[in-house]
Amino acid sequence: MIGVALLAVENLTMHYTTTKGDVQAVDDVSFELAKGESLGLVGESGCGKTSAAISILKLLPENAKILDGHIYFKEQDLVPLPEKEIRKIRWKGISMVFQAAMNSLNPVYRVGDQLIEAIQAHEKIDKEEARKRVAELFQLVDLDPERMDHYPHEYSGGMKQRAVIAMALACNPDIIIADEPTTALDVIVQDRILHEMDKIRERLNMGMIYISHDIAVIAEVSDRIGVMYAGKMVEFADTVTIFKRPAHPYTHALMNAFPSLLGEKRDLQMIVGEPPDLLDPPSGCRFHPRCPYVTPVCEREEPRWEEIEPNHFIACWNPLSH
Amino acid sequence: MWKYLVKRLLQIVFVIYIYTSICFLLFYAMPGNITSMYATNPNVKPAMRAKLIEQLGLNQPLYKQYLTYMDNVFIKHQFGVSFSHYPTPVWTIIKRRLPRTFVLFFTATIIAFYVGFTWGKIIAWKRGGVLEYSATLVGVGLWTVFTPMWGLLLIWLFAFKLGWFPINQFLTPGKWLHTTLSSTTIFNHMLLTAVAASLLLFLVYSLTRRLIKGRSERAVVNFSALAFAIGAAWWAWSSKGTLYLGLDILSHMIVPIITLTTISFGGTMLLMRDSMLETVKEDYITTAKAKGLPDRVIRDRHAARTALLPVVTSFVLSIAFAVDGGVITETIFSWPGIGMTLLSATVQMDYPLAIGTFVFTGIFVLFAHLVADILYAYLDPRIKY
Amino acid sequence: MEQMRVGYQPLWRIRLKLWRKSLANNWAIFRKSVIGVIGLAIIIFFGIFGAFYPVYQVIMHNSFIYDPIAGYALDEPSNPAPPSWRHPLGTDPIGRDIMSQLMYSTPREFMLGVLAALISVFIGTLIGAISAYYGGFTDTFFMRTADVFMLFPFIATLIVLSAVMKLDIFKLALVLGILGGFGGITLILKSQALSVAVKPYIQAAKVAGGSNFHVIATHIIPNVLPISFLYMMFNVTGAIFSEAALSFFGLLNIRMSWGLMIHTTDTAGYLLGSSLIYYWWLWLPPGLSVTALCAAFYLVGRGLDEVVNPRLRER
Repeated sequence: MIGVALLAVENLTMHYTTTKGDVQAVDDVSFELAKGESLGLVGESGCGKTSAAISILKLLPENAKILDGHIYFKEQDLVPLPEKEIRKIRWKGISMVFQAAMNSLNPVYRVGDQLIEAIQAHEKIDKEEARKRVAELFQLVDLDPERMDHYPHEYSGGMKQRAVIAMALACNPDIIIADEPTTALDVIVQDRILHEMDKIRERLNMGMIYISHDIAVIAEVSDRIGVMYAGKMVEFADTVTIFKRPAHPYTHALMNAFPSLLGEKRDLQMIVGEPPDLLDPPSGCRFHPRCPYVTPVCEREEPRWEEIEPNHFIACWNPLSH
Repeated sequence: MWKYLVKRLLQIVFVIYIYTSICFLLFYAMPGNITSMYATNPNVKPAMRAKLIEQLGLNQPLYKQYLTYMDNVFIKHQFGVSFSHYPTPVWTIIKRRLPRTFVLFFTATIIAFYVGFTWGKIIAWKRGGVLEYSATLVGVGLWTVFTPMWGLLLIWLFAFKLGWFPINQFLTPGKWLHTTLSSTTIFNHMLLTAVAASLLLFLVYSLTRRLIKGRSERAVVNFSALAFAIGAAWWAWSSKGTLYLGLDILSHMIVPIITLTTISFGGTMLLMRDSMLETVKEDYITTAKAKGLPDRVIRDRHAARTALLPVVTSFVLSIAFAVDGGVITETIFSWPGIGMTLLSATVQMDYPLAIGTFVFTGIFVLFAHLVADILYAYLDPRIKY
Repeated sequence: MEQMRVGYQPLWRIRLKLWRKSLANNWAIFRKSVIGVIGLAIIIFFGIFGAFYPVYQVIMHNSFIYDPIAGYALDEPSNPAPPSWRHPLGTDPIGRDIMSQLMYSTPREFMLGVLAALISVFIGTLIGAISAYYGGFTDTFFMRTADVFMLFPFIATLIVLSAVMKLDIFKLALVLGILGGFGGITLILKSQALSVAVKPYIQAAKVAGGSNFHVIATHIIPNVLPISFLYMMFNVTGAIFSEAALSFFGLLNIRMSWGLMIHTTDTAGYLLGSSLIYYWWLWLPPGLSVTALCAAFYLVGRGLDEVVNPRLRER
């Protein structure tokens, strides 16, 4: 991997221990993010995108453990770092917008106070200064600063989303991780928020990791895309390559599963089968039961993570050629 | 908000009316009456008993007695005169005995609540492990322990074996020989002192939270405020010359308070733990962690604050129910408060006193419910009336 | 992969299979809760203990018919006698074997607790479901009634009632059940029934033509039952405790119970001062038994909490 990357995840492996066994949520995942770049993580529900994201900030629940790998942020490996040190990086270096952000706000405190709390946790700044900062942030996300002293239940869904985005920006982080930030909203608001986020990102030259299962959305905002399946990263390249020349059968199938507004009418091609149970994933390549191009080696051995073209990574025994 | 209050108050009046009527009928359904205790007394002839019944109006038809009583309570606002303490009015007796119960239960409930709240918070945060199991077992064990047995055991330990505290009663009569003050006055003074001290400490606590950032500095200031409060109270009482009386009562209070606290903290602790476990699953807790806040801040400011809501409600309600559990404890310790009054009035069939006490506790409970609801609305901004 | 049996199976068979499966599932979850299992173990212990009584009688006192309520231990020089081989827990002031008394009372305590709790929960569930379903005036009426019931100071009211009527085990269970059933538990069960009543499948059932009775009986009540069962455990605790407290004050007309054993000790004056520790066998066994059984049911209740309320479970 290139040394100049702001964030470089290498061979990240993370498991959940449950009463039924070990769920192999993230297995040998690698990707990287440069400064000011936007990375999209796409995949079906349960493929490990959120798990990978929370692993970066080490927000793991009690029964989860990072078993292997490195997470280099500004060339410092976060994996062995103790909790005290990680806390300093959280929010100030990397912040996160969670899924269903409306629940990210504590209902008994005012919205403005929760943003102030985030700021004061990392900087020595008095209340008045912090309030001014919050007012600016509100304006940045197109919220009325007067609303700072209201409670979360007095906000609409879209407003809560914006407030959470403002909160994520509060400490001027280098990277924002946005986990399906618009899924809970209606389409129109979704579109607006998406573009606003992208504008902000460009203005502040922030890195962004955008997680979604909606490939259309990913395509709009990402510079590079990482495709995940069943806890593994299967393909990683820039957006144009992924769309025009997907080399992994799964990526290819994903592209075909979406209708195109322009172009000729055709039947939607679905991917047969179901995502595997991560308690007991398939042997070899995890996609092999559903892959139309499967060969015997796919069932035996896990494919290696290779760079088939400059900046185009894939894990497949039979990459498609174009 | 005001409309809600008015509605609630009207409901309270209606409920009190029904409740009083049922109490009345219930007591009159008991066989015998106040004169029954003289039944086997050879010095009290039947004629005298009949005269007593007539004098107390007990030979009138039931509906007439009922109407008279209702009229007294609701229109004239008085509970009548006690039969067994004739001619002391019921209200006087209640007024006299109420502070005794109040001081005891209020203190015990506050301590139990605080202990339960803190422990519940801690064991919920550190899930599993020896701490949680042992705390739960101890909490449940004490919550379900047979109160008379436990009380007797504690009396034996602290009063008899160790001799630190008196065995029962609420004061040592020998110490009160040279004063004209009544225990009621002293109890009232104690209540005043407690209220004043609490207000002061609350004020100091709020001010320090706003002005002083460091935890250790705040702790020092709060602690010195506490020491100051105790010192000021001590000085105020000794200058009045009543310090030794107050201390006497205080020493009688210790064992009952230990008993009450130990048997009731378990409930709050387990409730707080459950509430915390529900709250911790919420997304805003994860967000707080992602914000890089220290563990203790997340636990206290975010999780505990929201988990507090059902616990506070149950706390307020338990103050109301303290009167009921008080019957057992007050009897064991011979503490002459409302609980014991209930018991003795009932057993003696002193209708006015018994019904009066029942109704009084009923009103108290209803108002406690109302306060609980208002408090809940204050703590949770999502609730609006 | 399970093979599905092709063919028509009677509805009751399917229901039975599902019920058995969910029971096995719930048992697996319950088993994981340490405190629940401890509680269950204590209950089973007491169950065996109580059932052991006839055997105990035969073994220990086979020389004559010994009645723990009226018998007199002729083989002791003075009563109360400390524990010995013939009387494992000693005798009480009038010469009755403590162990026999303990064993004899156990089934009665069980019966009282369970009966009172069953009645409470039965009433509470029914009223809760009806209030939640019909809403409006019915709801307000029952809630206000619950308010009135909750106003009565529990112990004091039982005292009054024990004077109004002679309370034996059955009547006491009935009284406890009714007082509890119309009171606080109704509120809890009503809010639970309410969360069920607003679910779409209730409306679907009504639209499909189900009568009100049918909807309540087949849809609402079964979904409330887990919570009812849970609170039943806590009610047993309360019932046993109340009986013990009242017997301790000598206000009940029960021939033998743990609380009564302590009462006997009290009236005979063995609870004061140093006698408390010297004559420990008079009050400690019954006191501990009351505590243990109450705690056991409470622990089982908390263990059940994890079954009924999935959010409390460890992952």
